[in-house]
Amino acid sequence: MQDQQPGFLSFVQQQYPKLLQQTLVHIGLTFSSLFIAMAVGITLGIWISRRRRLAGPVLGIAGVFQTIPSIALLGFLIPVLGIGAKPAIAALFLYALLPIIRNTYTGLTGIDPSIMEAARGMGMSQRQIMTRVQLPLAMPVIIAGIRTATVINVGVATLAAYIAAGGLGEFIFGGIALNNTNMILAGAIPAALLALLLDWLISLVQHLRLPALRRVLWIGPLLILVLSSFYVLPSLHGSRLTAGFTPEFMGRQDGYLGLRKVYDLHIGTLVINDNLMYNAVAEKKLDVISGSSTDGRVRAFNLAILSDDKGIFPPYYAAPILREAVIQRYPTLPDVLNMLSGRINDSIMTELNYRVDFLKQTPEAVAEAFLRSCGLYRPAGSGMGGTIVVGSKIFGDGYILANMYKYLIEGYTDLRVVTKTGLGGTIICFNALRAGEIDLYPEYTGTGLLVILHAPGRILDSLGHRPENVYRYVQEAFHTQYGISWLKPIGFNNTYALMMRKDESDALNIRSISDLSAYMKK
Amino acid sequence: MNARVMISVDGVTKRFSSETAVVEDVSFSVNEGETLVLLGTSGSGKTTTLRMINRLLEPSGGRISIDGRDVHSQSPEALRRGIGYVLQDKGLFPHYTVSENIGVVPRLLGWDQKRTNERTRELLEKLKLPAAEFGGAYPARLSGGQQQRVGLARALAANQPVLLMDEPFGALDPITRAEVRKDFKSLDEVRNRTVILVTHDVYEACLLGDRICLMHEGHVAQWGTPAELLFHPASDWIREFFDGDRLTLELSVTKLSDIGMQGEGSVLEALEAALTDPEGKPGELMDAFKHR
Repeated sequence: MQDQQPGFLSFVQQQYPKLLQQTLVHIGLTFSSLFIAMAVGITLGIWISRRRRLAGPVLGIAGVFQTIPSIALLGFLIPVLGIGAKPAIAALFLYALLPIIRNTYTGLTGIDPSIMEAARGMGMSQRQIMTRVQLPLAMPVIIAGIRTATVINVGVATLAAYIAAGGLGEFIFGGIALNNTNMILAGAIPAALLALLLDWLISLVQHLRLPALRRVLWIGPLLILVLSSFYVLPSLHGSRLTAGFTPEFMGRQDGYLGLRKVYDLHIGTLVINDNLMYNAVAEKKLDVISGSSTDGRVRAFNLAILSDDKGIFPPYYAAPILREAVIQRYPTLPDVLNMLSGRINDSIMTELNYRVDFLKQTPEAVAEAFLRSCGLYRPAGSGMGGTIVVGSKIFGDGYILANMYKYLIEGYTDLRVVTKTGLGGTIICFNALRAGEIDLYPEYTGTGLLVILHAPGRILDSLGHRPENVYRYVQEAFHTQYGISWLKPIGFNNTYALMMRKDESDALNIRSISDLSAYMKK
Repeated sequence: MNARVMISVDGVTKRFSSETAVVEDVSFSVNEGETLVLLGTSGSGKTTTLRMINRLLEPSGGRISIDGRDVHSQSPEALRRGIGYVLQDKGLFPHYTVSENIGVVPRLLGWDQKRTNERTRELLEKLKLPAAEFGGAYPARLSGGQQQRVGLARALAANQPVLLMDEPFGALDPITRAEVRKDFKSLDEVRNRTVILVTHDVYEACLLGDRICLMHEGHVAQWGTPAELLFHPASDWIREFFDGDRLTLELSVTKLSDIGMQGEGSVLEALEAALTDPEGKPGELMDAFKHR
């Protein structure tokens, strides 16, 4: 992988127009939300400075928005505002609100009481006191709040890339997903510089002496409006359907690039987070997404998977992998684990995930019920023969499979099983297995091939995405390189899949990616 | 002297929430052009009484009128624009220049810029703050005494007939205080105005007050000229209140004319002048004072 990456500067040079466009969108997002937050925040701050009883509740509510994780907030906003600029600006607005309200309130209420008394004593009305005395004197504190909000917004605006609103997050998240350091830095460095620059510029205004401040103050909102206008909605003109792809999918040969090359697919594309795209397609904000074929949401949102008729997506067949030392110690273990082989196809796995994710059944209950329905369930044995540690990754399939293996091992042997589910990702799971922290976990052939073995391009070409070739290759390579054994595949293929809402797919009669490509050319 | 009552405070009471009265049944009046000093220890209710006159506080009972009009007959803002108000300290607007501070009330009253500027200039000269040097300065650059002069100029700017002063010299060091006080006393602008001044400084009260209203625990203890309070106190408490500086005070309230001598001003002033004059005869003055 490493040798395929050009240097950082040449990456920036290549991607310069895109980088510039992302930076402008980023600035636009930051300032358009900031402008609204200033208008609302300063007004609310003035209001609660006059009705102090309301200060606690108002600041409390604004504080609650601040504590909602950004990805969750974006998720809440999609059903209301859709995807793109609107929810992004709304989320940024909510994050910027607290520092502005709080500093306005603090600034207005922190003015020396004798100055307030003088203003009243001179015969100023409440409005005159506010505009002539309180606001000018509170201005440095209010600007400090705006400064905090601006820095927060530059940071949070990277998340706009999750919901197809663009910005520097496109490079950052794309780079993370593709393990491309240059791409991450091309997004992260401008974002960091932007935050530092704006922080510095606003600090200059903040520390201006009051008279000078009076002269420059009107420029501020004007400048912010101009900067807001940088935001041009990512254009989608001329596309009959809209696709939302993850940053990772966008940059992969076995993803968007392959769709263009092999299927000659031309579709308007937005970049979106993998957890949000299902909602977005269900809410009809998108038409096509790059989902994961066994995700419970395929069933929950009634999505149709388009068949990959030209075979560009690599196979990701799941199979348990375990250390060969464990097999030597417990020779009956592979037979027990292989009992599950061929039992679970894509739609069964989707159904099982659906029960856990949407019907909120526990993975244990779902695993037990499935084994009972196959007649495989047996009550646990003595558990005196030793302990096996079963691991799994942090998402749906893993939890359910780990529990099935627990029931099988305990039912058919006298071993006791400890599960360690929720291990962060592939590398964490795999290293735990090699170190003997866990004895086995379910892995996918495609992941073994690409993430662990880093198979070079010529090998990939020779394997040709054929499931049995890939399986045989990883089985052989793991055995020789790591002393780890791949048992029989379980049956389902958790790979990338293009999916659409079922009703739309029926209405347009689009069943495969070729159908989609043909439809887009009409 | 054709005395006309300018400010009348009649049976005024102030309660905060349901507590006992901070000010109870206070009555006094101030003649046009005179200076009344509200004198008392802290907590005596003198500042509360002052703040009810320009309605920074609303009285719980009683009646206050200025020039025969009840203060409640107009809006508080309009009322206050017609009354000069000097605060103890920190009362200047830090974001306004000296000129802008002085011009606050004229601007509120809708004076045009030229008239405001002329008036500001005039006041600055009278208060020994040359406009060229101080007009464009911000309050933070001024000394305490200079700030207090600007505060006074601001209260005089719109030619308000009534001037309320809340411990105007209280935050100054003794030397500066004496200077500012002297300038205030000799200012022609002040002479034809009706002034109510709050202080806890008995010497200041005797020096500046035509009449003193001595307050104690929310009530008026005695109301009269400084000489009346000094020489004919209504109670032992009042006598003791003045005892600390009695000689100085008595010298300050006794006019040269009172003891049959030529000249204007108080015995104290004459004494001070005599002490600094090598030809002076302080002994004669003291003898004359003692024989009175």
